[in-house]
Amino acid sequence: MTAIEEISMIPDWFGNDFYSDEANKNNSRQSLKRKTVFNKSEKWQKIEKTLDQDPVDVSSLKQFAISPGGLLDDELRKEIWPILLDVDIDNIPPKPGIEILHGHRDYNQVLLDVNRSLKRFPPGMDENIRLGLQDQLVDLIMRVLVNHEELHYYQGYHDICVTFLLVVGEDVAFALVDKLSLNHLRDFMDANMDRTKHILNYLYPIVGKSNPELREFMERSEVGTVFSLSWLITWYGHVLNDLRQIVRFYDFFIACHPLMPIYLAAAIVLHRADEILASECDMCIVHGLLSKIPQDLPFEQLISKAGDLYLQYPPSDLAYDAILNFQMTQSYTKARSRNRQKFTRKKKTDKKRWFVFNQDGKSGFLKFTFWTVTTAVVSAAVIAYLRSWEWG
Amino acid sequence: MVSKMSDSSNSDLHEEPESFVIEKQAQRRIFKIIVIGDSNVGKTCLTYRFCSSKFPDKTEATIGVDFRERTVNVEGEQIKLQLWDTAGQERFRKSMVQHYYRNVHAIVFVYDVTKMSSFENMPGWIGECDQHNLNRDIPRILVGNKCDEKDKIAVNTNLAQKFADSYNMPLFETSAKDDEKANHVDAIFMTLAHKLKNAKPMMPPYLTNHSRNFNTVQLGDSLQKRGLERARAEERNDSCSC
Repeated sequence: MTAIEEISMIPDWFGNDFYSDEANKNNSRQSLKRKTVFNKSEKWQKIEKTLDQDPVDVSSLKQFAISPGGLLDDELRKEIWPILLDVDIDNIPPKPGIEILHGHRDYNQVLLDVNRSLKRFPPGMDENIRLGLQDQLVDLIMRVLVNHEELHYYQGYHDICVTFLLVVGEDVAFALVDKLSLNHLRDFMDANMDRTKHILNYLYPIVGKSNPELREFMERSEVGTVFSLSWLITWYGHVLNDLRQIVRFYDFFIACHPLMPIYLAAAIVLHRADEILASECDMCIVHGLLSKIPQDLPFEQLISKAGDLYLQYPPSDLAYDAILNFQMTQSYTKARSRNRQKFTRKKKTDKKRWFVFNQDGKSGFLKFTFWTVTTAVVSAAVIAYLRSWEWG
Repeated sequence: MVSKMSDSSNSDLHEEPESFVIEKQAQRRIFKIIVIGDSNVGKTCLTYRFCSSKFPDKTEATIGVDFRERTVNVEGEQIKLQLWDTAGQERFRKSMVQHYYRNVHAIVFVYDVTKMSSFENMPGWIGECDQHNLNRDIPRILVGNKCDEKDKIAVNTNLAQKFADSYNMPLFETSAKDDEKANHVDAIFMTLAHKLKNAKPMMPPYLTNHSRNFNTVQLGDSLQKRGLERARAEERNDSCSC
């Protein structure tokens, strides 16, 4: 099946002509009106039927993960997530010894963060069970880090790992997170956060394409993008209270392009446009408003909207704008830096920076995120939505 | 002294009629305070304690930057203190937190009195801060947190005091957790509020960010400050480090 065919099947679950060319021309408000209701038992039967096939049709499973309701239930997730990520759960490497796990450079930070992750466990859970799960969570994280020397732990990675742990258990969670860490999460796990920052720079171009006034307002407020940092790097696990909602998002993200979380961020910001525009145009006010996601947002609609935005404004169309956005921030920072130097009369030579991605001032190489460079090169970005994502 | 508090997580900001709010905002000065230090030293708990008057039940690692605020009354003037609570992990401070050093009016360095490494890392934090915010005249204070854990104290008060003196910063040892110290945490931030208020009587803060007005600020010119210093001295006499 070609990618175009895959996309043409989407209307079956989202409502009529959801991703047709005609629909893509419509504005965001219209797409939000599209129906996001679904018949759970009917969908369940379809999923079961697909799972019974041999070989399993992975494209159909991706579509189920994206469409309203996602994969419906944790029992189905246990079965389908490994298929979507092409993970062989029968051959999971054994856990290394404690001394290896605890000897890793990031062990202490992981321990600190896991000890403070009480909120991530279902309320009312027996304390002993929770403590056992926290131990497993530390082991799970350390297993991935020990397995890949090049990966660096970041605060928020534990929010992703705990979600997998609670749904599929330690061993399978390790296999899934191990795979994700080399793919969807790879950019976040560099030694520094330059590439994470670059991904965040996609937010304004997406928002601006849909609502230029909102982008202008947000830029004027100098709110930046850090308010959405935890959304992106935890796949919303850090900011949502309801585990059912979190796993629904995970269905969506596992089945989609790695930049999808930033499209969802844009969908959320756009959804709150009136609220934002009515607030004071001030960094603190706007940051305070945006960094807290209301728990009662219409999340299914926002998922549809994110998919819509992806098709309307694929990453390849935005790459240049995102780089420009970065350059503007850089020149602004440099201007401020010069002002400060003037005030303090510190004479420092402001070396000219010839490269676009040179945030730490040390590396002189052009840095792109793995995923943005992929999509920038591929001109037919729509195809990338579902198809380019082949696990192997 | 405290007239109104709010946290960005609730909607207190929008409770009052709009015109009234605008009128009040026109009169109210806003000061931005950044709180930095190692991971798990209690930055979130300290800011939460001050802004919400309680110790949070379940705190988590801060990812990026969180924002809390509280309006206080200083000598008859309504002043809004905006506290920027930052992530402790090095990778965040290297590339994400720098944005928040912008236009900052005061800096609170926090270490954990039960963890020597968090104290030893202070010069690194201060150096980085100087790099981002070259105006060294901005008020800075050093806070040793978690001093309720008396059995585990690892950072000697005299050592910390010497260090603070060498950087010309006042030192406060406190506990965000200990309810009896709640007023103490309040007083620390009120000390800053007094300093900020008295440092800039005429101009709005954002206009004087890089001015040298702070040169005129004396550490001992607030009642709160003197009270705290005395309290600390007394505590030291009792051979208690906090």
